[in-house]
Amino acid sequence: MSPTLVIARLTVREAVRRRLVAAFGVITVLLAALSAWGFDRLSHARNVTSGEVHVAIPQSLIVFMFMFSFVVALSASAMASPSVSTEIESGILLAVLTRPVRRSEVLLGKWLGLAGVLLAYSVVVSALEVGIVDLVSGFVPPDPVGAALYLFGEGAILLSVTVLLSTRLSAIATGVVAVALFGAAWLAGVVGSLGTLFKIGTLRSVGEVARFLLPTDGLWHGAIYALEPRSFVAQRLSQSSAAAGNPFFATAPLAWPYLVFVGAWFVLVMAAALYSFERREL
Amino acid sequence: MSLARWAEPAVPEGAGSVGGAQGADAGRESPAIHTTDLRKHYRGTTALAGLSMTVRRGEVFGFLGPNGAGKTTAVKLLLGLVRPSGGEAMVLGAPAGDRETRRQIGYLPELFRFPGWLSAREVLFLHCRLLGLARETHPAAVGEALETVGLAPRAGDKVGTFSKGMQQRLGLGVALLGAPALVILDEPTSALDPVGRHDVRRVVLDLRRRGATVFLNTHLLEEAQQICDRVTVIDRGRAVATGTLAELLGGVASVRLRVSGLARTWWAGLTGFGTFSAAGEWVVAEGIAPGAVPDLVAAIVARGGRVEAVVPEHRTLEERFLELLAAP
Repeated sequence: MSPTLVIARLTVREAVRRRLVAAFGVITVLLAALSAWGFDRLSHARNVTSGEVHVAIPQSLIVFMFMFSFVVALSASAMASPSVSTEIESGILLAVLTRPVRRSEVLLGKWLGLAGVLLAYSVVVSALEVGIVDLVSGFVPPDPVGAALYLFGEGAILLSVTVLLSTRLSAIATGVVAVALFGAAWLAGVVGSLGTLFKIGTLRSVGEVARFLLPTDGLWHGAIYALEPRSFVAQRLSQSSAAAGNPFFATAPLAWPYLVFVGAWFVLVMAAALYSFERREL
Repeated sequence: MSLARWAEPAVPEGAGSVGGAQGADAGRESPAIHTTDLRKHYRGTTALAGLSMTVRRGEVFGFLGPNGAGKTTAVKLLLGLVRPSGGEAMVLGAPAGDRETRRQIGYLPELFRFPGWLSAREVLFLHCRLLGLARETHPAAVGEALETVGLAPRAGDKVGTFSKGMQQRLGLGVALLGAPALVILDEPTSALDPVGRHDVRRVVLDLRRRGATVFLNTHLLEEAQQICDRVTVIDRGRAVATGTLAELLGGVASVRLRVSGLARTWWAGLTGFGTFSAAGEWVVAEGIAPGAVPDLVAAIVARGGRVEAVVPEHRTLEERFLELLAAP
């Protein structure tokens, strides 16, 4: 087994042993139960028309998935922030890095293990939510697999940034910076939406630039589009161009060039993390 | 168990009979460690100011120095954990930090921790995998390491429940995996009780018996005096003395004599041998040249004295160590 896979397996085992997976499970079941109750109430409300229900269910699903995207992103930050710095400080990595392994193998192994946990969580939580909505209301989003992958993509982006920061900063500083960056990127997306709504070019530019600096909000919009009924998108756009200003609404799927950019962004950040760790003196 | 069984070289996965020790093979005749003017500066602070030393294969080499002398920095340079600011370091015939050569090195860090959620056995299996040992050899290697460091009864316990001393024992077990040609021990007994210290000495002597080189970084002089073949004393980032203990301690430091049949200050005509002073019934002669004690005794007898007792006193390593550190 290659050292990368040895470290990845160790990382996953740590997530299981330290009850991270169990915590994920408990939180997810609680939130999913809460959402099931909410969707059920919404579907059977007496004072709401069926047309309104058909609009409210996908929107509510998107809001719930937004909450889970927060859980994924913050978990990525919480899991990865101590991954390098704390292990250097405690001396755990000293014993590992004097073995015949490359530092890049250790870092990639850690990333791979944490990414595996995030992917599993993203898929499970997406399947659970989509299943609940289907069961309660009969609505199935057009691209649930895409939504799960975009959700994971958000987590993977923040995971990579956190790993990069962790090669130089303490765990607490890494966590704070990573969460602040994620929050700022989301807020910039909202500001961009407001810019679109009120036709203010400068604000719209803030959102656009942020999507390239930290593509978490960009990928979140990919997840939104994957969860929206196509008829709903067409209807909203035909009614008013202001619909594009809703931060929980996406007018179009993510363009391929943007996805290619996200891939390049990821490669660049991971290359920076590997370079930084390689140069780090222990 | 005896460490003799460890002499059989472990076969790394997919590496054939040559194993992963290319660096070691390439430099079979080379010293275990050789540094030339090795330097390390950290933002205006000099941690190592030009260390030159040679550690021969198969010896137990003590690396002594006060706190802050640069010992741990030197060890980290040898392992490639930090980059040198200048100079050169070769380990087992390869540049320090060479990845393949690390297969032949066991290392017990001074300050370290293993993941507390793993058991001792799991830590050892993990390091077998990181070493690239053939999978079928893992159970035997782990079992032997546990026996050697006395942790077999606690093999299944989580490391998080271990005392510092037990973690130290586990660290030693990890360093012994894979039958390394060079074992670097950084303050190996710092957290151990007397039994643990005795066990470490036993392990070190067993390693020497099977031909491994042991580089012992310690500030415990008694320990070095008991088990080291040669030592280097390092101070302010530079080696201030290197040699066998006999060379370093310089033979007899002083002689206590009890003489009768002569005047009270009988040594007046013998000052060419050294400096004399009275101490009750005894006279202490200091600064006696190596091998000159029999001549001194003969001179006393020639003057008509009766030499009732001669007690040569050797300098301790601690005394010599303090002398070296006090030197400008």
